[in-house]
Amino acid sequence: MADTKPAAGSVTLERVNTPPAQTWNYLRTNDITLTVPFASRKGDVYFALPRLFEGMECGMGQQVTDWVESQSADAHYVEVRAGQKRTEPIVVTSMDTGVMVRAGAEATVVIATNNEGVLAAGRSVLSPASSAASKAKRGLSESADKTEGSAASTQHSTSAALVRIIAERDARVHVLEFVCANDERQHIESVGITADARARVDVRQFFLGAATTAAGLCCSLDGADARFELTCRYLGRDDERLDINHVVRMRGRNGRTDIRESGVLDGRARKALRATIDLVHGSSGSEGAELENVLVLSDDVVNKTMPVILCDEDDVAGNHGATIGSVGPEQIGYLADRGLTQEEAEALYVRALFDEAVIAAPTPEVRATVLARATSVLGAEVARDLVEGLGLDSPAGEEA
Amino acid sequence: MSHKLLSVQGICAGTEDKPILHDVSMELDSKETHVLMGPNGAGKSTLGRVIMGDPTYDVTSGGIVFDGEDITDQAADKRSLAGIFLSYQAPVEVPGVPLYSYLRTITQKRPELKMTARKFRNRVGEIAEQLDMDSSFLTRELNVGFSGGEKKKIEMLQLLLLRPKLAILDETDSGLDVDALSVVSRGIEAYRSECDGALLIITHNTRILERLTVDRTHVMVQGRLVAEGPGSLIDDIDAHGFVQFERASEDGGAA
Repeated sequence: MADTKPAAGSVTLERVNTPPAQTWNYLRTNDITLTVPFASRKGDVYFALPRLFEGMECGMGQQVTDWVESQSADAHYVEVRAGQKRTEPIVVTSMDTGVMVRAGAEATVVIATNNEGVLAAGRSVLSPASSAASKAKRGLSESADKTEGSAASTQHSTSAALVRIIAERDARVHVLEFVCANDERQHIESVGITADARARVDVRQFFLGAATTAAGLCCSLDGADARFELTCRYLGRDDERLDINHVVRMRGRNGRTDIRESGVLDGRARKALRATIDLVHGSSGSEGAELENVLVLSDDVVNKTMPVILCDEDDVAGNHGATIGSVGPEQIGYLADRGLTQEEAEALYVRALFDEAVIAAPTPEVRATVLARATSVLGAEVARDLVEGLGLDSPAGEEA
Repeated sequence: MSHKLLSVQGICAGTEDKPILHDVSMELDSKETHVLMGPNGAGKSTLGRVIMGDPTYDVTSGGIVFDGEDITDQAADKRSLAGIFLSYQAPVEVPGVPLYSYLRTITQKRPELKMTARKFRNRVGEIAEQLDMDSSFLTRELNVGFSGGEKKKIEMLQLLLLRPKLAILDETDSGLDVDALSVVSRGIEAYRSECDGALLIITHNTRILERLTVDRTHVMVQGRLVAEGPGSLIDDIDAHGFVQFERASEDGGAA
């Protein structure tokens, strides 16, 4: 925390989730500081990931990597052998996971978090910092915001997932991330990916709820002709906080990156999003584009967006942009002509987020996670409607 | 049995600084098909939007009665729920909202169309097939990245799904190739036969009318309705254009 000592049994991760290039400090959007639980693991026998995963850049930075490694019961390693098309998704069940997708293979990696923590993960939920923790206030704060630490008095449990993925040449990797927790959870999710020549990586993120969601993703396109696509959809409402850091290092020649972020902010939600495409020396012929659309539904929302293109190479193209605002008058007019008031039009945008997430959910368990969150945000009737209308199996709907 | 569905009585309307419609009156019975024609800039689309309740336009005098109710001061969403549908010339893109979510939401707003999600999905599938639409459209964002023809098909999809009492089609045929025009015409025909609704078609292109029986034709010039006649008036306009009406309007204005 910015202005409090960490409680016993907790540790402060100073200035994490940082972008490669900083902006003005007064904007208070360069990083965050997290207070997280900490338990000594002295005497434990720990299974670590293979050395290949050491030193991989992850979105939230080395401090978070070190912390997760220190708290995870064990690391979980999955390898998809060369040329294998794995149809069954790899559902992350450990705080610390490494996935190796060998040359020409294809795999889907799913990271889903609900109120119980990362799905089926034994130690993904950590006890909140105890004793003096009542003074610890909220778990997430911006380092430069000195008033943040005393802004709220709720103490949250913390869940975390650290996922590192290596995509060898010609591999195809699909990553799906779902954060669907309630307002008593601080969730930390750090992802690192490397892609070799001609590898294709696509990531879909759905950050749909948690008191605080701090998520970072870094993808390094090391080989020539590698491709990376990221779609991030988020919802922030009530007093929720979102802190997102996307970094793509384009190192190989003729790489392609396309980042699309969009979301809805309501209530007193606060969001900071940093998105950086780094066209590193040697990446000639590469192109990268990033775009964020933020829909703001309340005057009390705080939205910070930091789109950045770094360039150290000729013959490259980088585009970035962001649009922030309420539902446009043209859209409001069109939707009114179909019978929707402004409030109903705004609610439609929120429902649309859940529709997309339900469609993207690859397993009944993940779908149930999304629907549980949909139930709390949109109500049980709409949640049921999502399942039935999309022709999905009823069991997930019943669970909602 | 038909009854008076729409009565536009002496409407004068425009934007803050520009009057566009001058003393426009029109009556339309249920189940009838009317065509509104006129040269570019005559105010045809404005009339459609004023009937729909577009707040961009101020109605300075006159009134609109729909299905026995004075709707002059009603908001567009209320008019829509009452049974008026305006098909856009250039449908608006709504990023962030998949077509499925949108269709489900606007259908659920209408008690008479309440159905289970499963039935709804089947119904949408049937209409999509009728309009040669791929069902993958449903997961795409509303009107985003669609071609002009696809957007018009989505308008037709909504028309057949919502089954309004009155459909105002604002140059639905503009910018369509032959195939798309044929599909849209099929959609209009299906609306007439399945929904038994009334139509007010704003158009320059009489090809879209080939499969329809037109009950009345209205001609608008410079914000005024200058002529009204049976469906056969369209053939006259096809042969001689709007010059005669423009001339008559100028003479009337000069007098």
